[in-house]
Amino acid sequence: MHTIRLSHLAVVLVSLMSMTASAQESHIDKLTGNAKHGKALYQRYCIFCHGTDGDGRGESAPYLNPKPRDFTKAVFKCRSTPSGSLPLDSDLYDTITRGIHASGMPSWKPLLKQERADLVAYIKTFSSSFQEEKPGEPVVIPAEPPSSPESVKRGADLFQSMNCWACHGKDGRGHGPSAATLTDNQGNPITPFDFTSGRSFKCGETDRDMFRDLVTGLDGTPMPSFVGAMSADQRWDVVHYIRTLSDSKKHSVAKNDASGQ
Amino acid sequence: MRCFFLIAAVLDFRGRKAGVLMSKNSYWLIIAIAGLGWVISSRISAGPSALADAGSSLKGEVKFEGTPPKGTRIDMSADPLCAKTHPTPITTEDVVVGASGGLANVVVYVSDGLTSRNFQPPQEAAVFTQKGCQYKPHVLAMQANQKLEVVNDDETTHNIHPSPANNREWNMTQPHGAPLEQTFAREEIAIPVKCNVHPWMRGYIAVFKHPYFAVTDKDGKFEVKDLPPGTYTISAWQEKLGTQTQKITIGTGESKSLDFSFKQ
Amino acid sequence: MRIVSWKKTGMHLLMLGTLLAFVQTAHAIPAFARKYGLPCSACHEAWPMLNNFGQTFKDNGYQLGNGRDAPIYQEPSYWPIMFRATPFWHRENNNRQAVDVVAGNPSSGQVESSVTSSGFDLSGVDLITAGTIYNNISFFVQPFIGSNSITLSQAWARLDNLAGSRWLNLKMGKFELDEPISQERQLILNNTGGVYYNYFFTPPGDKNFFQGIGLPQLGVELLGHSGDDSTRYSVAVVSNSNGQTGLPSNQAYDVYANFNQSFETPWFGRQQVGAYGYVGESPTFFQTSGGSPIPGTGMGNRSFYRLGAYGHWFVNKFDFYTFYLHGSDNVFLGNGVAANQPSSLPIGAVGPVWNGGFIEGHYNPTPRLIFTGRYELNRMSRQANPGIRADSGNLDSWTIGYRWYPIMSPRAGLAWTQEYSRVTNAGAAPLSGKDDTHDSYLMGFDFDF
Repeated sequence: MHTIRLSHLAVVLVSLMSMTASAQESHIDKLTGNAKHGKALYQRYCIFCHGTDGDGRGESAPYLNPKPRDFTKAVFKCRSTPSGSLPLDSDLYDTITRGIHASGMPSWKPLLKQERADLVAYIKTFSSSFQEEKPGEPVVIPAEPPSSPESVKRGADLFQSMNCWACHGKDGRGHGPSAATLTDNQGNPITPFDFTSGRSFKCGETDRDMFRDLVTGLDGTPMPSFVGAMSADQRWDVVHYIRTLSDSKKHSVAKNDASGQ
Repeated sequence: MRCFFLIAAVLDFRGRKAGVLMSKNSYWLIIAIAGLGWVISSRISAGPSALADAGSSLKGEVKFEGTPPKGTRIDMSADPLCAKTHPTPITTEDVVVGASGGLANVVVYVSDGLTSRNFQPPQEAAVFTQKGCQYKPHVLAMQANQKLEVVNDDETTHNIHPSPANNREWNMTQPHGAPLEQTFAREEIAIPVKCNVHPWMRGYIAVFKHPYFAVTDKDGKFEVKDLPPGTYTISAWQEKLGTQTQKITIGTGESKSLDFSFKQ
Repeated sequence: MRIVSWKKTGMHLLMLGTLLAFVQTAHAIPAFARKYGLPCSACHEAWPMLNNFGQTFKDNGYQLGNGRDAPIYQEPSYWPIMFRATPFWHRENNNRQAVDVVAGNPSSGQVESSVTSSGFDLSGVDLITAGTIYNNISFFVQPFIGSNSITLSQAWARLDNLAGSRWLNLKMGKFELDEPISQERQLILNNTGGVYYNYFFTPPGDKNFFQGIGLPQLGVELLGHSGDDSTRYSVAVVSNSNGQTGLPSNQAYDVYANFNQSFETPWFGRQQVGAYGYVGESPTFFQTSGGSPIPGTGMGNRSFYRLGAYGHWFVNKFDFYTFYLHGSDNVFLGNGVAANQPSSLPIGAVGPVWNGGFIEGHYNPTPRLIFTGRYELNRMSRQANPGIRADSGNLDSWTIGYRWYPIMSPRAGLAWTQEYSRVTNAGAAPLSGKDDTHDSYLMGFDFDF
């Protein structure tokens, strides 16, 4: 009869669990997503754009612009963590829920919350980075000071001195001198955002979202992080200035706005 | 540390296969594990000084054969703050050949022959400077996990955007004088670096696990110091002309010479 | 009675095997999937049946809301048109049909006999063009090309998200009502199981102009929904015409309303409950000219209603619909008597009342395979007059089938289907008054381009 040393068994079990647990699960608020369930959902909803292997080479990908995300690189635009860092589970969840405006990525809000959490867990399995690294500290967004003509003027000056105009153009339409040279991290041409369009931004439409984008940058695109370049107040000034570039009343963030062009 | 558990599990399994786990067997098991752990931990803390031999030197020259290509003129008029730093426009730096045919900005490094062990990165930071709306040095070589200090010596604001294949991609804006520190965790030869604001800017950062590398100067000359005795494959990488390799054996404290030659 | 012989099973498997040998992904094109690059399975649990994402897309006016909906963002070569054709082989059987004793000789007398027919067949072609004309203006046109006629199944336009609100969408034209489960998009194709009887039931002796909520109707519909479609309402005002153009009926208007609410439950996922009702007035006689009724002049309107509740339940890869209907027609409608001739009502005439329902289950192990089973029934609780058998009009129907989708891409779709359905009508045998059973077996392809 064998004597099974509990300590040895425990050692083996613990090492196995630590290797697999976090990679197969996602945690968003009270939800726990499961990658196995996420896989079935991915094959129903995501596979034709993002590909069977999550590399963005689905059957529809050649016809899409911008191209679908390549999950194997673990580089994501919409995060609340510093540039170069992995996103939080909630960042991926928010992107799935919100979709990405002016792209092929729809809002998957009609999916159940549990289903979206399961998808996040499965998406993380495409890159070993999620097992090897931890996401960075999420950005803390301070309270927004009210806008004012002075704030807008400071923002305009920063738009100039921070060289935003080099890509976004002096009028914010996205045709700056560098714009034609810009590519994303897959080598595809990419155009800077047109602030005059009144469209939703890629990663959310509120001032807080814009502030966060300035801090995190949009990894995988030419949009950098301004965390070391500007203070929090300066970033709010830039946000206030950018809002004036479009007729934002036309596209206010009404809860019932279904089609938001 | 994972392999520690794995080894423990394997020993445990073998022990159980042999029959009932006697207390004497488990005593030897503990000694074996402890010994293994000591060996592993001692290797982790080994720096180059523990096993390297001071005094050896690998010197050489990288030459360019044939007529050096003319660089393309860079138009910096899009940003007046850049244009004024170069009253006479400069040219691209993808192939820079010195007066006597030496090829600059070639990374010479050991690509094979070092027994795999961990090298501590140096304490001092590697410095990558933006000056005159160019990267200085054009090619930087550094160690994995070494601090990278990025300096903006220009009046204009740059963003520094490496495009690694084997490291995390990041993209940071840096106005004049603002500090910026980053690091790369994995070996990669070499990471292209660009500035989205100033699209003509191009540089490279080569990241190594070990400290045995050098970048050729404007005359194509390099020196790799303190290589431990052994047989190595030495590679020379140039951003446009590719990589060449040669084998070399170096003894204790020996000085050896090695040349490379690239052509279009 | 025989269901499927083993010989036939073997033949089917051989056909399946041959099909598999030639399967390859297609690169041709169907409408919405092509527009957005999404696979069919994103919107359809198993096409044509919609899942919640697809239902939301439809309720949104065929818009994803991602800034790429209006036709201006599409390539000029994109045309929002698709067609659907179903060639199949089927076998029909009626176990008690009145048949002449000597074929060709009507005076030889009649007996009840089992009548069977089988062979290759074609369902006709659905041509659908649908989508957005502009932001928040959607449309749907569905001509059906039959063997010798073209009919317009549906044709409507919709003003979506009025006043920027997803609670106000106005549809006008000829459209399928917002039914608990869609008749148009159900998964069964054969003659016996391809209809929800409860959607079309008319009691024995009843002459109600109205033919059921399963037919597309002419009118207007106001629909609203929450962002994830968890709450939905629909109110339609239609003419009492069964969707026939040319004003055939009366000048009254019928009202249909449907409301449903879904919940996300732990472990089991989405569960949905709802209630619906159709209330209307049908004419009992027309003005005549030279004795012939003049269409559209329907008079003597008498009321009727259909109402009920339903649920859609999910357990892992299974989902079930449970549906209940309570129907009632006015006594004049139920007995086919003009309202201006009450003395013509038979003694003891009352308005017929009935209750029906079905349970339909699906097992959807992968996006490319779905199994369907259904049991439907109807029970008269009150006949229109004492002369009608108490159980006349009662029916029980069973259906089982599966659909397999070897090709499902954003470009084209192909389904292989096999199904069997049977319906028993109480006392409907023409001579003996026994129960009469029809059954259908169908296997075939469903092409979607």
